[in-house]
Amino acid sequence: MRLRSIFFLALAGFGTWGALRAQRPFQQYPGVEYENFPLPPDYQEKTEWTRARLRYPSFINVHGYAEPANGGYHRWTIDYPRSDRHLLQGIRRLTRINTRSVEQIVDLDGTDDVYNWPIMYAVEVGYWNLTDEQCAQLRDYLLRGGFFMCDDFHGTLEWQNFMASMSRVFPDRPVVEIDNKDQIFHVIYDLDDRFQVPGAQYLYSGSIFEYDGYGAKWRGIYDDKGRVMVAICHNMDLGDAWEWSDDPRYPEKFASLAYRIAVNYFMYDLTH
Amino acid sequence: MFELLFKYPHTVFNKGTFVLLGGWPLWLLGVSIAVAAVGLWFIVRRYSAESLRVNGLKSVAVWLLQTALASILLLMLWHPALSVATLRPQQNIVAVVVDDSSSMAIQDASGGARLAQAKSVLDSGLVKSLQQRFQVRLYKVSDQLARIEHLDQLTASGHSTHLGEGLKQVLADAASLPIGAVVLLSDGADNSGGVDLETISEIRRERIPIHTIGFGRETMAHDIEISDVQIPPRALPDSRLSAQVSFHQHGYSGSKAKLTLRDGAKVLATREIILPKDGVEQTESILFDAGLVGVKTIETSIDPLPGEENTLNNKVTRLVNVDERKPKILYMEGEPRWEFKFLRRAVEDDRSIHLITILRTTQNKNYVQDPFGDSPKVVKDGSFPTKIEDLFTFDGLIIGSTDAPYFTAGQQEIIHEFVDRRGGGLLFLGGRDALADGGYKQSALNDLLPVVLPDRKGTYVIAPATVELTAAGRDSLITRIEEDPEKNVQKWKKLPYLLNFQDPGQPKPGAVVLMDAIPQQGGRLPLLITENFGRGRTAVFATGGSWRGWQMQMPVADKTHEMFYTQLLRWLVSDTPRRVITSTPRQLLEDEAQVKLRAEVRDRNYVPSSDATVEAHIMGPEGIADSVEMVPEPLEQGVYTAEWTTPKPGSYLVETVAKRANEESGRDVLTFRREDGVAENFRVEQNRELLEKLSSETGGKYYKPEDAAKLANEISYSEAGITIRETRDLWDMPAIFLLLLMLRSGEWLLRRKWGVI
Repeated sequence: MRLRSIFFLALAGFGTWGALRAQRPFQQYPGVEYENFPLPPDYQEKTEWTRARLRYPSFINVHGYAEPANGGYHRWTIDYPRSDRHLLQGIRRLTRINTRSVEQIVDLDGTDDVYNWPIMYAVEVGYWNLTDEQCAQLRDYLLRGGFFMCDDFHGTLEWQNFMASMSRVFPDRPVVEIDNKDQIFHVIYDLDDRFQVPGAQYLYSGSIFEYDGYGAKWRGIYDDKGRVMVAICHNMDLGDAWEWSDDPRYPEKFASLAYRIAVNYFMYDLTH
Repeated sequence: MFELLFKYPHTVFNKGTFVLLGGWPLWLLGVSIAVAAVGLWFIVRRYSAESLRVNGLKSVAVWLLQTALASILLLMLWHPALSVATLRPQQNIVAVVVDDSSSMAIQDASGGARLAQAKSVLDSGLVKSLQQRFQVRLYKVSDQLARIEHLDQLTASGHSTHLGEGLKQVLADAASLPIGAVVLLSDGADNSGGVDLETISEIRRERIPIHTIGFGRETMAHDIEISDVQIPPRALPDSRLSAQVSFHQHGYSGSKAKLTLRDGAKVLATREIILPKDGVEQTESILFDAGLVGVKTIETSIDPLPGEENTLNNKVTRLVNVDERKPKILYMEGEPRWEFKFLRRAVEDDRSIHLITILRTTQNKNYVQDPFGDSPKVVKDGSFPTKIEDLFTFDGLIIGSTDAPYFTAGQQEIIHEFVDRRGGGLLFLGGRDALADGGYKQSALNDLLPVVLPDRKGTYVIAPATVELTAAGRDSLITRIEEDPEKNVQKWKKLPYLLNFQDPGQPKPGAVVLMDAIPQQGGRLPLLITENFGRGRTAVFATGGSWRGWQMQMPVADKTHEMFYTQLLRWLVSDTPRRVITSTPRQLLEDEAQVKLRAEVRDRNYVPSSDATVEAHIMGPEGIADSVEMVPEPLEQGVYTAEWTTPKPGSYLVETVAKRANEESGRDVLTFRREDGVAENFRVEQNRELLEKLSSETGGKYYKPEDAAKLANEISYSEAGITIRETRDLWDMPAIFLLLLMLRSGEWLLRRKWGVI
């Protein structure tokens, strides 16, 4: 009896070890905007690269208005997965990156899976609420060589909320404006003349900005070797630009800049 | 005993020729023996027919014994003898050569110092008995030969022993003197590595026998000796180097000892070793860091153990020139991928390597990263070199996931020359467009690969694989992540899996597999394979997924990925030669003054250049400075040599400068060192093998000191000098009488046994 228990315990242990170490397969989740988005025919193709999307816990109330009673929006799913799929198509077309046609959802859950995906994106981080453990793992991920890009958060309140978590990831590193001369703006495209990219709300409001988010802020956190490891896109909505890039109503110039920013950021990560 | 039975020493039989002095012809002897045999056969057969007790095989046995007896008696009638050359008395010279090197001062357990024993042998009658028949000339030999008049002139103070050179000088004397034989009294502890075949052939041509008397114990009772230390003479700064230390011991089998490497007072590395069986040569490796730029004098030592008789042979010195050069590596990558990112990061802190990368980012754009700004213009403009002189400015090349057709035929040709002629290093990484999947099997670069690529596509697999070191990988510096070899093996086994692997095919003969990939789905494939090709070296690292297992899945503080790629890239370029390479056969001169210098000079295209002016500028201790012109070797293109005599012990630096038409082709720096008073500390046991070989190859004989008295008799038999031919009768040898008696007694005993008598 004792031996059998030991055997099953060991089996469980190995299984857990294997699960911890193995790369998680692709999985699609229902999102706020899309419940059941069609999968591309080659979604199972194994490739050299894909961009991960971070799943995170979010605040229910940032701007002081009520959200659905079922626990609030899952903010991490905003634009997902249409934005991701369009973006990855763009990467395929515009670069030699051998990318998957679908994204990978990752968690900062204490397992080793997140380290299998060295480039990560998070949307609406003005609503995120990382635990201390998640902050620690994100820091570890970045110091090992990971790259994090965040986007689609606007104005002062959302910035403060974003920093409430980010300052726990890197209490000792400042957030700075990325200089125009930085290679991140020149690695493929020369992007000296950047402008604010609005979300789809622009089609209805005609307003480039949201809340008090006047003027696009291209910010970053650098590592000890002077490389951008956190690319912060504040007061803009690149995610929407990718998502609506196939809609003729959405201005081409915003979509184009959004793709160019992504191409540059990803290529910068792969070359630095 | 031999002489008792056979009347003469066996030297006579060795050197003599068998002759028959009787006047009758030899055929008559044969006929006589045949007639006797037939006659005896009929007699024995008739007797056995009458007596049933001696028949069949018994009669044959009787016949044989009687025939043998008759044959011997008949042979004696023909007067057998030995014809042997002997030295004419008082008309020949015997050269007595005594080893006067400092090893002869060693006190062995019995009999006192070796030289004292040698003098005793000479004084106690050998010289006198030689002088009765010959003129005796005394010599002493150490690093050279010198004539002496008295044995008091022997002092055992010579710094080294060069027996071959000394004997050659004796032969030179023999050209004008009738030297009949040489007697060499020595312990055989030669420092020049022994007496070479050429010298022995020369001595043999003169037909002068060398009789050797050996002194000293053949093995020490308690001693550890370092026989050799192999360390690369050049290294890049902060390189990890391996010293291969060979040693043997007597009297401490199985004991532990401490092996230490020092640079001056600084201990570079130390480890415990287990001593092998007595007399068995063992080699241990010990790793150390080369440190910063400069000449390092590395002292390798084994701490003496209690009771060790000679502790001066526990230390050996070697030089390492830590070069300030910064080899350049060009990395051509065909697709943006994480392996590219993390490879660059892994080596960015290595100040000794300049990694320049060209990445195909989009369909029509390359991204160049040249942090040091010292690439040729074509590379800075984003293109892979098309001219040989541009590519040859690099020391190493990495080709990532870039299909072979990306390179034009011309580029493939210059890549081939880069390895073969330039001596560069070339590393192929795995990838979607690499190796077989990249069309390399059909390309001109195929023979550079250390593997035979598979004949199929789809060799690149994105699936997990772990890694295991092979036996060669366990000893390799490329894969040494942990100091301790066993811990290193275990570490590699436990690393997280790679994200992908590629089937590189089978290693070619001469290639070395350092690591295997163990795919999760089963099987085993070579992962890291290296090979020397032409003047250069090539390697395949058949994965594009090391970033996952060895970097992102490891803690921040872990440096596995950095160490691996740094060591791999250093291996790739450390031995890539420059346009001028200087070398010397021995970096450490032990009690020797002469240094031989050799320079290989190549032009801009690394073609050997025989029309250069090459000068070696030498700087030594106490402000010694000199210049030597190096002359071209007639039979070796681009090779220049010179010899120089060091005036005193110490470290020397040689800067070789080559010029063509007043333009400098290149320069190189070499270091060497002269140490005096060290040579005789090593190989102090009697080298009986050498002494026996000297004597046997020249027709002489080896004697122990207690048998030296026999030498006076046996030395006369020689074909050198002034000789006469003498005959020595054999018919009256006691052995013949004994043999006859035995034959007769044998027959009688057999008959008694058979009951006939």
